[in-house]
Amino acid sequence: MPPAEAARTPSPAAATSRPPVRGLVLGVLAVAVAGLGLVLPSFWLFLATGAVISAVTALSVGIVYGRAGMISLCQLSFAAIGAFVVAGLNTQGILVLPLQILLGGLVAVPFGLLIGLPALRLRGVNLAIVTLGFASAVDVVLGLNAFPGADSGEYVTRPALLAGDPAYFAFCWAVFVALALGLAWLSRRRAGLAWDAVRRSERATAALGLSVPGTKLWAFGLSAFVAGVGGGLLIGQLLTVSRANFEPVFSLMAFALGVMLATQYWEGALVAGVAMALVPEILRRTGLPQDLTSLLFALGAVEALFRGTGGLAARLRLVAAHRRARDLPAGLPPLPATQQSRPRVTSAPGGPVLELSNLSVRYGQVAALLEVNLRVERGTVAALIGPNGAGKSTLIDAVTGFKGYMGTVALGGRSIDAVSAHGRARLGLRRSFQQDRTIADLSVEQYLRLLSGHDLGRAELLEALHFLGGPHPERPMDSVDVGTRRLVEVAGLLAARPQIVLLDEPGAGLDEAESLRFAARLREVPAVFGCAVLLVEHDMALVAAACSQVTVLDFGQVIASGECAEVLGSPQVVRAYLGGEDAA
Amino acid sequence: MLQSALAGLAAGGAYALLGACVVLLYRMVGVLNFSTAAVGAFGAYASLEFLDLGWPYWVAALGGIAVGTLLSGGIGWVMSRWFFEVSVGVRSTVTIALLIGLLGLAHRAFGDAPKAVPSAFPGASLDLGVTISSDALLALGLATALALGVGAFLNRTLLGVQLRALSERPTTAELLGIPARRLSLLVWLFGGAAATVAVLVIAPTRPADFSSLSFLVLPAMAAALLGLFQNFTATLLGGVAVGLLEGLATYFDAVSPYRSVLPFVMVLLALLWTQRGEVWDAAR
Repeated sequence: MPPAEAARTPSPAAATSRPPVRGLVLGVLAVAVAGLGLVLPSFWLFLATGAVISAVTALSVGIVYGRAGMISLCQLSFAAIGAFVVAGLNTQGILVLPLQILLGGLVAVPFGLLIGLPALRLRGVNLAIVTLGFASAVDVVLGLNAFPGADSGEYVTRPALLAGDPAYFAFCWAVFVALALGLAWLSRRRAGLAWDAVRRSERATAALGLSVPGTKLWAFGLSAFVAGVGGGLLIGQLLTVSRANFEPVFSLMAFALGVMLATQYWEGALVAGVAMALVPEILRRTGLPQDLTSLLFALGAVEALFRGTGGLAARLRLVAAHRRARDLPAGLPPLPATQQSRPRVTSAPGGPVLELSNLSVRYGQVAALLEVNLRVERGTVAALIGPNGAGKSTLIDAVTGFKGYMGTVALGGRSIDAVSAHGRARLGLRRSFQQDRTIADLSVEQYLRLLSGHDLGRAELLEALHFLGGPHPERPMDSVDVGTRRLVEVAGLLAARPQIVLLDEPGAGLDEAESLRFAARLREVPAVFGCAVLLVEHDMALVAAACSQVTVLDFGQVIASGECAEVLGSPQVVRAYLGGEDAA
Repeated sequence: MLQSALAGLAAGGAYALLGACVVLLYRMVGVLNFSTAAVGAFGAYASLEFLDLGWPYWVAALGGIAVGTLLSGGIGWVMSRWFFEVSVGVRSTVTIALLIGLLGLAHRAFGDAPKAVPSAFPGASLDLGVTISSDALLALGLATALALGVGAFLNRTLLGVQLRALSERPTTAELLGIPARRLSLLVWLFGGAAATVAVLVIAPTRPADFSSLSFLVLPAMAAALLGLFQNFTATLLGGVAVGLLEGLATYFDAVSPYRSVLPFVMVLLALLWTQRGEVWDAAR
C-alpha cells in the first residue's frame, strides 16, 4: 500500500465506532430535550408529550413495516390493549405506573403474535386485511366495553415523582430514547438484521439459516410491545382515555406516516410524532380545516411510494452513507497483526460431506432431475456444470430444501430430508443465489454479519473480506457493483464456516482476470475455512482453475462425473454443450 | 332465526358486490384496492347531496354513481401513470394511503354526521313465508349479474383475455399491442360504478357515517378472500355467507353486538386455511 494511502486509512477500531463527537452531541441534545418541560408553557408541553408518545407508536410501525416489510394497520389497537391494562391495574392500585406500562406492553405481545400468525406464510398485502380487520374488531369491542374506571369517572394516578407534567414529559422522552437506542442496537445484530432480510427475500432469509416465521413473529411481537407501551404512556398523560383515542383511522395515519418518513429510524419516528401533534395544531391556527391532516399524510405516503426509495429518514440516511462512502479509502483496512498468521484449518477426516442418492424432481410430467447421484468429498472443490435448463439450479433448490424431491440428501453422513430450508442452512449447508439477493440498504459489514450466522468479531470479518478482496466494510451495499456483491456474499457464507457451500454462478459479473483470481481463492477455501465447495458455473476457465471434481448434468441426468481434466475433455460432454446450443 | 339470517341478505349481497369489485381489480389491474368501499361511499354521499338539491331518487343515484365512477377513474389514472411497473404490494399500499386521504376528503366535503340514505324501493319486499326485502333482492341480483357477467366476459371475449394478459404482465401486454393503460382505466371506472351501487344498496340498512361505510371493505375483502381473489362465484357465495352469518348473529343476544367482528374472524380462519402449505417468494 502506498504510504499516502496508508496514512489515510483509519485504524479498524476507529472505523468501527461511530464518530464519538456525534454520539456526545446527540447525548447532550437528548438530555436537553428531557429538560424542555421546565421551559415550555403548559399547552405546548401537552403537545410535546403527545408528540413523543406518537413517536413511540411510530417506532412500532417502523419495526413491522419499515424493517420487516409487513403492512400493519392496527398499531393503535395494540396501544389500546396497553392502555386497557394500565387502566385496569391502576384503578385496582396494583404496581406503579411505569411497571403498569411495561406490563401493558407485554400483554399486547400475544395479540401481536396472534395477528402475525397468518403472516407466516404470506406477504404484505394479505396481512393488511388481517390487521385492518383487527383494528375494526378492537374498535367494536372497545365501543361495548369501556376502559376500566372510565364509567365511574376514575382517573389514572401517577406516582408522586411523575405527577408534574414536566416530569412526565421527561419520562416519556426517556422511554422513547431507550426504545430508539434498543432498536438501533438491534439493527447491528443478527436478530435485527434478519428483518431486513425478510423484507428483501424470504428465500434468502431461510438460506441464511434464519426461520422466516420466527423472524416475522418476532417483529410483530416486538412491535406490539412498543405500541402497547405507547398506549400506556398515553393514558398516563391524559389520565382517562376512550375508544376515540384508538380509532382505526389513527392506525391508518400512523401507517401513512411510517411509509412517508421511515419511522424505523429514530429521527423518522420523531418527525412523525411531531407531525401527528403539530400538523392539526398548525392547521387550526392558520384557520384551515384540521381534516386536511389525513389528506396531507396520505399525499406524503403516496409521494414516498412513488419515489420507491423509502421514507424521508431512509433517503437522508442513504445520502449520508454515500457521502461517507466517498471519503472511504479504496482498499480494505489492514488486518490486525495477530490475525494475519491465522491458523489453517486442518481438514476433517475424509468421506463425503454431501451425498445425493437417486434425487428426482418433477414438474408434472417433466422430470427436471432424474435419479441424480452426486458425492462431494470433504475438503474438495467440486463443480456442477451443464447446458442451460439442465437442472443445475433445481438441484441446488432441492438440496437446500426449497423444492420438494424424491430420493435422499445426506449431509456429513446424516440424512437431512426432513429438515427445513433454514434448518439445513444451520446444519452447515449454505448456498448463494444466482440472482442478486443482497440487501442494498445495509453496509457491507452489516450484510456480512447477517450472512455469517453468528455475531462475528471485526477481525474475523475483515479476514473473510481480505480473503476474496472485497470492498471496504463501511461501504453501503448499493454502492458496490453486482460482481463484487457476489464476492461479499461468498465471503459472508465462508465466514459462517459451513460444512459445504453451494455457489450458484458466483463468477457472473466478474471480468476474466477477476474470475481467475476468484478461482485461485476458491481452491484455498477447504484449507482456510474447512469447508467443501460445490460450484455451479458456466465459465469453464473458472471451473478448470478452481475445481478438482466435475459432474455434468444434461436434461436432468448425470452424463459424466470425475476428475476435472478428464471430464471436461470427454467427447460426450463436449457434445452435450455444443448439441445443446445447436438445439437452441 | 331464519328471518334473522335472511335480514343479513341485503348486506350479504352488498358484500358480494363489493367483494366482486375487489376481485375484479385484483385480477385485472393487480391491486388489492383498500379504497373500494370508500370510493363507493363517496359516490353514495354525493348522491345524497343531489337529493338535497331536490333531484328525484334515480337521477340522484345515477349522479352519485357518476361521481364514484369518475373518482375511481381518477385513482386509476394515477395508478397507471405513476405505479404501472411496481409490485402488487406497493400498488395496494398506495390504495391504503388513498383510503386515508378519502376519509379526510369526505370529512371536508360532507361533514362527519351520519346520514340517512333512502332505500331504492322503500317498504317493498317479497313474502315467501319469510320476508325478503327488495334491497336484498336488488343486491343479490346485481352481485350475481356482476359475478357471472364478468366471469363470462373474461373467459369468453377477446377484450377479457386482453385484460387478463394485462394483469399478469402489464409491460408484455403493452408490447403485444394491447392498449394496457386505457384498458386498466376502463376497469377502474367500472369498479367505481359497481362500488357506488353496492354502497347505495347497503347504506339504508345501517348507520351510514362515512368511515363505517369505508370499512365495509373488510367484509368485502373477507368475501374476496374466500374466492381466493380469483373466483367470482366463490366470492359471491362468500359475501352472502358473511351477510347471513352476521344476520344470524343478531338472533343471539350474547353475540349480536359483536357481529361486525365476524368478517375478521372469517378472514383469519380463511387465511390460516389457505396458507397452510409452505410457499416461497419468486424463485428467480
